[in-house]
Amino acid sequence: MAVSDWTIVRRSVTGRMFSSVTTVLMVGVSVGLMLTLVSMRDAGRRAFERGSGDMHMLISNDSSPMVSVLNGIFYANAPASYIPWADYERLGARYPFAYAVPTQLGDSFRGRPVMATTRGFFTAFEPDAGRAWRIADGDLFGGPFQVVLGAEAANETGLGVGDTINVFHGAARDPGAHAHAEYDYEVVGVLAATGGPHDRALFTDLTSAWILHAHDRRVRELGDAAGLTGEADLTEADRKITGIYARLASRDGGAPAALPQVMSRLRAQEGLTVAQPRQEIQRLFGIVSNIDQVLLGMAAVVMISSAVGIMLTLYNAMEQRRRQVAVLRVLGASRARIFGLVMTESALLGLLGGVVGVGLAWVGGEIVSAVMWARLGLVIEAAIEPRMALAVGLGAVGLAAVAGVAPAVAGYRTSVARNLRPIG
Amino acid sequence: MSDEQRDGDTPALSVRGLRFGYSGAGGDVVRIDELDVAPGEQVVVVGRSGSGKSTLLHLLSGVLDPDAGRVLVAGTDIHSLKGARRDAFRGREIGMIFQSFNLLHGFTALENVEVALMFSLMPRGEHAARARGLLGTLGIDRMDAAPEELSVGQQQRVAVARALACKPALVLADEPTASLDPENSAVAIGLIRDACREQGAALVCVSHDPVVAGAFERRVVLEEVGVGEKR
Repeated sequence: MAVSDWTIVRRSVTGRMFSSVTTVLMVGVSVGLMLTLVSMRDAGRRAFERGSGDMHMLISNDSSPMVSVLNGIFYANAPASYIPWADYERLGARYPFAYAVPTQLGDSFRGRPVMATTRGFFTAFEPDAGRAWRIADGDLFGGPFQVVLGAEAANETGLGVGDTINVFHGAARDPGAHAHAEYDYEVVGVLAATGGPHDRALFTDLTSAWILHAHDRRVRELGDAAGLTGEADLTEADRKITGIYARLASRDGGAPAALPQVMSRLRAQEGLTVAQPRQEIQRLFGIVSNIDQVLLGMAAVVMISSAVGIMLTLYNAMEQRRRQVAVLRVLGASRARIFGLVMTESALLGLLGGVVGVGLAWVGGEIVSAVMWARLGLVIEAAIEPRMALAVGLGAVGLAAVAGVAPAVAGYRTSVARNLRPIG
Repeated sequence: MSDEQRDGDTPALSVRGLRFGYSGAGGDVVRIDELDVAPGEQVVVVGRSGSGKSTLLHLLSGVLDPDAGRVLVAGTDIHSLKGARRDAFRGREIGMIFQSFNLLHGFTALENVEVALMFSLMPRGEHAARARGLLGTLGIDRMDAAPEELSVGQQQRVAVARALACKPALVLADEPTASLDPENSAVAIGLIRDACREQGAALVCVSHDPVVAGAFERRVVLEEVGVGEKR
């Protein structure tokens, strides 16, 4: 194929491979950062909202509503404070709940949270508003020491219906955490995926969790004489929970008019923290969005820096290429054509950077997804909106083209006579 | 203007009243009252170092604008053309051979010739064949080699092929043998002259090399100011 302007541009880029690759990577990182931030922000919000399902409030004894939501829904940490069972029963009788599902967290299995709850967690609470739980295999627990696996927990552990496990009291990495080998749990069911944080959890009934904790107490009190603890050994103090997923009854299924009043009364009670998960998630994103703005600003600065990098790369190259430009001019290239060649080269670096950036954004998205899943059990789809990718990519090309103006002008103004070695 | 369109009587180069001086240099660097080079004719311009030989070539090729006078290449006043039109005209009608060849690095020998054809009116599909033909005629068989992989003599042949690629009316050679020993100088200048003759291009060669000067029938002496002629 005959030599063309495109050949000249290509050879110029490949002729300075190191600086071209460095420049492309610089542009790629900034484009990737920008895309990752933008796409993750929306995907993250959707994923967070999925976790709270259809509950109106989460009642706990945590230090703040935000902590309550992070611990009680996203399994960030085991709650440190409890609500006595008697208080739970009193609350259930006093307020017009459509459901009030008790939960207790604090145990784990291979690093995954074990939530003790009632069957109401599956029959009343919807993990994604409007979509009920589905059982992929087996059934829900029907008594103590039976366990139901979230979809991802089953997938990652390889466990299935009929297997037996021993749970940890406390998270495995917590000081004082220990396995309860004396109590075997039988896997009786596996849940279908919900795309929320509950997928990575294991579920058992409250009595099992209370017995485990009571057994520790009794061993401390009685030593070897404690024997194996059963339901009959439970005291009132052993019966406690860490949270209540609650929804108020309403006629049309929407937010009930009594909600503010109920929340206000609940908050007035000592030892209760009442969180509206959706509000807390919005607050969380309010905080995160500030950081978002800072990160987006930083990405923009990186992008501008990379444009400056393109300018310097091409400008320095132009200093070395003045003779080549002079030869091209002598051969018949006009000033405008030289200008166009340099601009095309600059835009090409931007385009390559954009493509690399989309790739990096995809990898970055996968990493963020994996981290969010591992830390918070959130399913964040690392999908990059094609229109967004196109817009950011075109932005990179445009910025690169702008950055190419100064070197292109230098090429345009290159003196032919001065740069062809004079003899005579 | 293609070679088929050129009028056989129109000089390949016609210079009238040419004056040029660098600002602050105090007087003219180039001063030529009259110089004609017929189509296919070959002329050597000799002069002491600093007598303005390279400047003259820049004036003849339209790279520099004169203070006064006219330069007609194949009947066209090159300085009356502006901007891209002059560049395009130079690309088509004037071939240049430099002392240091000025081959483009990162391009093969073949591509160096094809680059010149980019600016011609020749259809793109014919570029490769034309470049291969010229290089073959000049004895270059490693056409896909980079310039730095070729010997000095081969590099010069590539430079000659590039200068003749667009079938120009005029070839300007600037000290084309300065980097060669006397024996190779004679061979090289013979090659350039033969190639120009074969392609029908007039040749104006500036040189201070006596071997080169002796090879031409027509010699123009560039004095400190002005021009004299010896045959």
